[in-house]
Amino acid sequence: MRRVVITGIGAVSPHGLTITDLWNGLTAMRSGLALLSAFDPAAFPSRVSGQVPSFKTTEFVPKSYRKATKIMARDIELAVVAADAAVRDAHLATRGVLETFGGKKPDDSWFETDPRRLGCNIGAGLICADLNELTTAMAQARMEDGGLSLEKWGRSKDPAKPSGMDLLTPLWLLKYLPNMLACHVSIIHDAQGPSNTITCQQASAGLALTEACRTIQRGQADMALVGGCETMVHPMGMMRWTLLKRLTTSGNENPAAACRPLDQTASGTVLAEGGSVLIIEELEQAQKRRAKIYAEVVGLGASSSARGIAGPDPAGEAMAMAMRKALRNAGISAADVQMVLPCAYAIPAHDQAEAAALKSVFGSHQPEIVPIRGGIGDAGAGTQALDLAAAAMALREQIIPGAVNCPHPIAALNVPQQTHPAVINHLLINTGSIAGQNSAVVLRRYY
Amino acid sequence: MRNRVVITGIGWVTPLGRSIEEVWAKLLEAQSGIAMTTLFDARYFPTQFSAEVKNYHLPENLKQSGKHEDISRATGFALDAAQQAWRMAGLPEPGSENSKAVDPYSVGVYLGSGEGSLDFENFTRTALASWNQENRGLDMTLWGQRALQSFHALREIEQEPAMPISHLSMEFNARGPTLNCLTACAASTQALGEATELIRRGDAEVMISGGAHSMIHPFGVTGFNRLTALSTFNEDPARSCRPFDATRSGFVIGEGAGVLILESLAHAEARGARILAEVVGYGSSADAYRVTDQHPEGRGAIVAIESALRDAGLQTGDIDYINAHGTGTKENDSTETFAIKGVFKERAKLVPISSIKSMMGHLIAAAGAVEAITCVLCIRDQIIPPTANYSVPDPECDLDYVPNHARKIKVNVVMSNSFGFGGQNDTLIIRNFS
Repeated sequence: MRRVVITGIGAVSPHGLTITDLWNGLTAMRSGLALLSAFDPAAFPSRVSGQVPSFKTTEFVPKSYRKATKIMARDIELAVVAADAAVRDAHLATRGVLETFGGKKPDDSWFETDPRRLGCNIGAGLICADLNELTTAMAQARMEDGGLSLEKWGRSKDPAKPSGMDLLTPLWLLKYLPNMLACHVSIIHDAQGPSNTITCQQASAGLALTEACRTIQRGQADMALVGGCETMVHPMGMMRWTLLKRLTTSGNENPAAACRPLDQTASGTVLAEGGSVLIIEELEQAQKRRAKIYAEVVGLGASSSARGIAGPDPAGEAMAMAMRKALRNAGISAADVQMVLPCAYAIPAHDQAEAAALKSVFGSHQPEIVPIRGGIGDAGAGTQALDLAAAAMALREQIIPGAVNCPHPIAALNVPQQTHPAVINHLLINTGSIAGQNSAVVLRRYY
Repeated sequence: MRNRVVITGIGWVTPLGRSIEEVWAKLLEAQSGIAMTTLFDARYFPTQFSAEVKNYHLPENLKQSGKHEDISRATGFALDAAQQAWRMAGLPEPGSENSKAVDPYSVGVYLGSGEGSLDFENFTRTALASWNQENRGLDMTLWGQRALQSFHALREIEQEPAMPISHLSMEFNARGPTLNCLTACAASTQALGEATELIRRGDAEVMISGGAHSMIHPFGVTGFNRLTALSTFNEDPARSCRPFDATRSGFVIGEGAGVLILESLAHAEARGARILAEVVGYGSSADAYRVTDQHPEGRGAIVAIESALRDAGLQTGDIDYINAHGTGTKENDSTETFAIKGVFKERAKLVPISSIKSMMGHLIAAAGAVEAITCVLCIRDQIIPPTANYSVPDPECDLDYVPNHARKIKVNVVMSNSFGFGGQNDTLIIRNFS
């Protein structure tokens, strides 16, 4: 069986644009959450968010690709930035990277891969249209009663004057197709291998990692760009999550403390943005090219809670099953796991079900459970991707970050209050999406 | 050793109807499901017609009907198609005494479904009411207040592309891996391919797989009209979609769902299921070329087709029929032809190729699933459907497209191609089970 390791990480999060920023934020136990500034949130009861610091996408793509950044929704930009960092971290001289080096590898540590053997599997969410752009066009076709006139929208009586839809850029639709994250990334880096876009909300990245690992294991690729990115910080997301009562409304005075995953005072989650792209690679190739190896991917499990958006069953049965499958797949027992990254959104019912699932899997053995949403919020399809990035760092550094905003854990979970060094041989990432898809991943320390 | 994967049930909801036999008969007679759009007032759009699912109602006998109240049109299609497939496969009714015979954790779902449709009325009115013409921007306070009053929480969440799988998982108590991929027009072919891989490696015994989508709404048609991807032949909708014909001018937007029950051979045999066909090959690739265009020489398409053949352990000479992506756009059909020639060489002219999109339009994310079902029926009945509306040969498309009339041939192995915006390419190979 071919083995798969992680050899590069790019992460964009409220802590910054790099994996170093994320890791520093986590180990310093900082909160990246603040008052929402992407739009005026005054009408909403929750006004906190986890926004990625501003950046110019053009600085993260080769010169020949700058024009294409005009048709990138924010979700796509996040993936492009994360992928750029990931391939550089892995010293992959992809087409895009080579162009920025003037066509030549700076030294022999840079590796050129066969484009057909490089896959791309980046999870994505429901991308929100830019409301100002769309409404600018709609205003052209407004009816007296305040609705949209489909006549004025579709056709202009005056040929010199555009209709409503004419005001949209011809490529408007392509900004919002979820597979455009993988599409742009695969064009920039010339990844012609197996490619997919999993849209399973928070569980997307683990499911994407599973699929990409299997393609490498069965020999259809040697490497892949894997992960997930999304921004939930837009008016439609805010409206939806507010109506579903998933957001905390008690954090506006102290945004840094708003999101309290697994804590007894948890009162809802915080909308965020970000995600990561990892480079995964077949072990022998990675060894041969002397790549920096963060961790090995050894266990993958998935299940469904079959309860729709009611979330996991209170006993966490399906979630526990995903974790057990991942442990079995890794050939280890629960006692071999030293650290767990739970999904822990700070939504009380969800947190309690997850705590029950963890108890049922780990029993009296208590690995350290590190809920990282407290400082970075819920980034939708970027959520598990950020967890995977953090997990790979923890294994490489052999450091467990202390939890942010979880001084009084529910169910007496073993939540570290301080960052500390530790021997971590196996780390389990557990994720359950809002619609009930569960993905568990076990990573192993690489010696 | 990998598990063999067989198909034991099929179901669809299409612009030509929702019963397997009725739709299949229409396809063989080259009937069209394309007509003037009725789901919204499209009279002023460049394209005024589409392939709608007519008079659609959700089946009344769903077990979890109380949990499906706010679903999108696409999720409804998916539930209906899945119920048909589940029953054909002879799997136990969910919740029945017999259902205990199937381990829920061995049953998964993998769809390539699209997003649900926007709440158009609320969305447009809320935005327009909060528009500040002087600043040319939305007044977000006004927008937020109005949005929180007018939008419906559950209907909003139902737009998430993961909701069809979430409802299927509930309805059929499928607790194994549940996934959705959204790779544009290739999505459900990809879902079927990846679901096959899941069973092959033993992560599930049964997969409910396929796709569902509806983009027949004002912004969906706007998006494709702005891309000038749609046919605008408003004079005669039934003849508007002309794959591989020299006068082809674009695709026709359709809607619907196709769902197949995939099962490990051992599981199907153990319960004495009737086996319809076997999935023997799957190939996937990315063009990595341009956002807007396919690679002109079909680079990615060739890789997908070749890797599906390799996966199946078959040669081009083994393929009896190709169910084409065949959208009816200038670019797709010539590129697909180029790719088929690239792989099949001299044999390309000998393999019959047809596109059912000429009759039921392009079901976008769901297209690959209804095409896979068509392939199963071709094998069952030893007949292949035609490409309708074919009259003027195009020198760039010079293969055998089975023009206008179904053809009885020996069908043992079929290939189905799907290509998506953004350069996603997927190919499935399905074989007569023996």
